[in-house]
Amino acid sequence: MPKRLAGSYRRAEGPSTAPARFRQGPRTGDRRGAPVDWDKLSLMILVRAPLRISFVGGGTDLPEFYRKHPGRVISVTIDKYVYVLVNPTPLVDKFTIKYQRTEIVDHPKDLEHTRLRAALLDLGMVQSGLEVGSFADLPAKTGLGSSSSFSVALLRGLHAYRGRSLSNRDLAEEASRLEIDLVQEPIGKQDQYAAAFGGFNVFQFNAHGPVDVSPVLLDYRKRSALEEHLLLFFTGITRPAASVLTEQRSRVEEHFETYVAMAESVGEFARRVLEGDIRGMAHMLHEGWLRKRSLASSVSSSVLDGLYEAGLSAGAWGGKILGAGGGGCLLLLAPPSAQAAVRRALEGRAAQERLAGFKEIGVRTVQSGTDLVYRDQQPPVY
Amino acid sequence: MEEFIRGFVGDVTRVMSALPVQEIARAINVIQAVYERDGRIYIFGNGGSLALATHWVSDFNKTVFSHNLESHTRRFQAIRLPSTEEELSAWANDVGYEMVFAGPLQNYLQETDGVIAISSSGNSQNIVKAVELAKRRNVPVIGLSGFDGGKLNELADVKIVVQTEKGKYEIVEGIHAVILHLITKYFQDYFDHQLARRTAGA
Repeated sequence: MPKRLAGSYRRAEGPSTAPARFRQGPRTGDRRGAPVDWDKLSLMILVRAPLRISFVGGGTDLPEFYRKHPGRVISVTIDKYVYVLVNPTPLVDKFTIKYQRTEIVDHPKDLEHTRLRAALLDLGMVQSGLEVGSFADLPAKTGLGSSSSFSVALLRGLHAYRGRSLSNRDLAEEASRLEIDLVQEPIGKQDQYAAAFGGFNVFQFNAHGPVDVSPVLLDYRKRSALEEHLLLFFTGITRPAASVLTEQRSRVEEHFETYVAMAESVGEFARRVLEGDIRGMAHMLHEGWLRKRSLASSVSSSVLDGLYEAGLSAGAWGGKILGAGGGGCLLLLAPPSAQAAVRRALEGRAAQERLAGFKEIGVRTVQSGTDLVYRDQQPPVY
Repeated sequence: MEEFIRGFVGDVTRVMSALPVQEIARAINVIQAVYERDGRIYIFGNGGSLALATHWVSDFNKTVFSHNLESHTRRFQAIRLPSTEEELSAWANDVGYEMVFAGPLQNYLQETDGVIAISSSGNSQNIVKAVELAKRRNVPVIGLSGFDGGKLNELADVKIVVQTEKGKYEIVEGIHAVILHLITKYFQDYFDHQLARRTAGA
């Protein structure tokens, strides 16, 4: 697949007004042996991006759909995070990249981590002496949008390292461009927007013009009532979204009316959220899940169907498999009185299926998006 | 006399009933987000608006948690700018009055923070300067303005404008106080609720 890495697109960036010491980007001292000028280095930066639960409309954020009909998604960010750390290493003349593994290379073009390679090349950050690490509360491929949360955190961190601050919207667009245009991942834009903005939102993806972001303004009573009904289980099955989405994307035309129905249901779901009608939300999740299952053969499986059915039989009102499908997390809405039974039923079923990684994840919703939570110096006066 | 009083109350009631409720809700979300990332909230204004800012800081840092001071160790960090009269006079005398808020704000402001700017006209130079600084750093700005909202309402991310004829300071400032108390009350109830939830779960 062609990689358009040399993109000259720099929409989110105006000319930097940061003082010279912040404009440098990564910088080793001097290869000829002169002392390192520490004052000219950008120092350590830590960024935190939330994961998200997507309720209804996932898939309508694919360009194959929203170029013909407005796509809509409703989601909320949760208190589970991806962290990206950017640090100069003036005495190590390399790019040191730490994630599940460690890569140490002379030039970013040699990196195997696709998004990091593309981001560093695209931003022109090719001067060695830089370390980037990523950390997360949960493993990847859980259907909670973690790969895009990583991209959003990475870009906030790399831009900050170069003395630039991006708005949430520019950040979401930059992350979408990185993943979809540069790395050619077959994904949509909902997760980049969810992570950049944070909170409970309806996103509308338009054929032309910017994405509309409408917050669902929920007070703490309704928010905590929802949290008290919400159960989230990691199935122990992981599968990269790409494998499901590649099939799904090629069949958008065939299922166009289903996508329209999914996008149209987002407004109704938002109304139920605002009314605090949790049972109504659960009913819509169930309908949405049935629709989504029909979009690609790999969205569900007999194991996932079995877990979901076990939850419903034990008293859950409705739910869905989160993310692209094929594995990841199961979301259920269940009345507090039924939750012990639902847990027992699911654990039993998971043991039957020998799902070693099956586990419940306690979650709260959060409002804040992708934040620069620590920097080792005062921000520049830009 | 009674007619005057009824007239004033009538004016206040009319303006109150047209408040931008959604924007106030968004302001609450912004403050919630700042709390989650352990940021600070800077608030400032001129004259009566500075008095409102000071009053709110006191309520927000303490009254919000007054039912459970012990159990909430993580509290709000709301700061009125400038935090001392000395800074106010130093910036005004040495640099210019338009820098009395932007000057001190520059010392403190981090990406995780939030800003509340109060200006009835929305056009005070010193307010606009400080808001522009926050915007450059992509720090969210809640603008409490009056009349037609002025420049502050254009610049702010959250646009709480108390719409009145020009010059009705007494109505605008009175309603700004009500909105600030509303925000305090919301978070007081929220933290009470959280505590009740924790106790029930224990």
